[in-house]
Amino acid sequence: MTTKLLEVENLTKKFPSSVKTSEGKGEFTAVDDISFSVSAGEIVGLLGPNGAGKSTTINCLLGVIKPDSGSVTVFGMDLQKKRTEIMQKVNYCSAEYNLPWHLTVYEALLVFCHLYSVKNAKERISELLGLFELEDLRNKAVRELSFGQRARANLVKSLLNRPRLLLLDEPMASMDPDIVDKGIKLLKKIQKENGMSIIYTSHNMWEIEQVASNVIFINHGKVMAQGSPLELTKQELKLETKEPDLREVFIRLTRRKEKPL
Amino acid sequence: MWGIALRHIFLTMHQLERFADLFIFPIVGLLLWGFLSQSVAFASSNLAVFFIGGLILWTMFERVGTGIGIDFMWDIWERNLMNVLASPITLVEHIGGLVWVSIIKVIISIAAMWLIAALFYGFNLGSLGSSLVFLWANIVIFAVSLGIFNVALIIRYGHILGPLTWIIPFAIQPFTAAFYPVSIFPPYVQKIVYFLPLVHVFEGMRYTLSTGKLDLVRLETAFVLNIFYFVLAIAFFSYMFSIVRKRGTVAKL
Ligand SMILES: Nc1ncnc2c1ncn2[C@@H]1O[C@H](COP(=O)(O)OP(=O)(O)O)[C@@H](O)[C@H]1O
Ligand SMILES: [Mg+2]
Repeated sequence: MTTKLLEVENLTKKFPSSVKTSEGKGEFTAVDDISFSVSAGEIVGLLGPNGAGKSTTINCLLGVIKPDSGSVTVFGMDLQKKRTEIMQKVNYCSAEYNLPWHLTVYEALLVFCHLYSVKNAKERISELLGLFELEDLRNKAVRELSFGQRARANLVKSLLNRPRLLLLDEPMASMDPDIVDKGIKLLKKIQKENGMSIIYTSHNMWEIEQVASNVIFINHGKVMAQGSPLELTKQELKLETKEPDLREVFIRLTRRKEKPL
Repeated sequence: MWGIALRHIFLTMHQLERFADLFIFPIVGLLLWGFLSQSVAFASSNLAVFFIGGLILWTMFERVGTGIGIDFMWDIWERNLMNVLASPITLVEHIGGLVWVSIIKVIISIAAMWLIAALFYGFNLGSLGSSLVFLWANIVIFAVSLGIFNVALIIRYGHILGPLTWIIPFAIQPFTAAFYPVSIFPPYVQKIVYFLPLVHVFEGMRYTLSTGKLDLVRLETAFVLNIFYFVLAIAFFSYMFSIVRKRGTVAKL
């Protein structure tokens, strides 16, 4: 219990919906009674099709959205009560969002150093810009960066405060495979060095296969299956294999109509 | 808090049009209306003084009142808001940072207008004496309340309501008696406009300009009203924020 960095219990989030369903009075359940935990140093992949409830889950973990029920415990503290303290050692990155467009890379990162009370901000920024091969761009405006450079700058932002828990919500969405591959390698290297935990969401099974040691497959807001990529493959495809094949698992689980686990 | 402030200071430095916000609009406005008021008010110089004083105080209000909402919207426009919301800073610190930055900006604008008014019209803002500090404080508090109200609307209804940031000050301007005495209004309108702290501020300013004395009653009335609106704005904001956190629409802004 105490070794768990993050514990999510019975998390449920309903949104008001214009469409009336049989289950509720115009409510739509985006996250449906999800429970899982993340240990220190673990990379968990949250895999599921578009609209599965991945971002909603992440936003609940960030305390940006208030869940209807369930509890989120980070570093042994209740997120509802200790959000500020917890977020000091958590960070977030999504390809959907940018660093401030008109600022230079350095200025934008400096702003986030202040928001996260990072000490020795200058050194920290230089160190990370070096790691992500962005030194030459430090005085360029964020809007002038290419797609891939922006993704890397976002990742730099998410590492500024040396997070113990990193929440990555489709950080490489719509990037070309070469960029994704480089990004993931770098991320895994940094993760190995400082032992942080990562939750990585994607609808791309290949990405998840590369990055995650433990995969949680969700659809319609429910956990459908959970395990290492290889375990999932064996368990869902019911065959003996040495190669994980999340693509097949993804297709099966997405099309499966019967009750989840 | 400083982080948010810094973000907008950097933004201002990168944008020419935002320098316009600081200097050009206040100064050009002052020049235009200042000369006009002088030409109209050849005979009674008091009128010109009232007008220029009103203009400077009004500009202070408008800059702070709209600045807070606009700066907040920049984070939506630049798709950065979610990054800020995900950070450890609390909403109070976020708003605090926005208030801070608009106060810094308005001080710069005032300095510029003070200088211009003195050079062109021989109007010394300092002639308001200690009254200036109280007037200024009251203006800033009301402007901050309006700014918080704007941000609450934006957070709830998205930046479709953003233009209200400009429209509200524009719409209340005629009723604030910035450029003419309250006595001009019909009696029933007077009763209503007295609920605006700004009305007391501008009346107080004219009183000080013509007598050289502090209008304590007006300043106190303005202050009490201000506290009321400020608490109201905070309550409205907290309510709107709790709604969008429940509906999950904060993450969609
Ligand atoms: N604020 C909201 N209001 C209403 N419905 C929402 C809101 N946010 C997300 N949804 C819906 O909830 C479902 C899950 O969304 P999301 O968590 O973004 O999925 P994912 O990130 O897995 O693609 C989707 O059907 C989406 O349309
Ligand atoms: Mg998503």
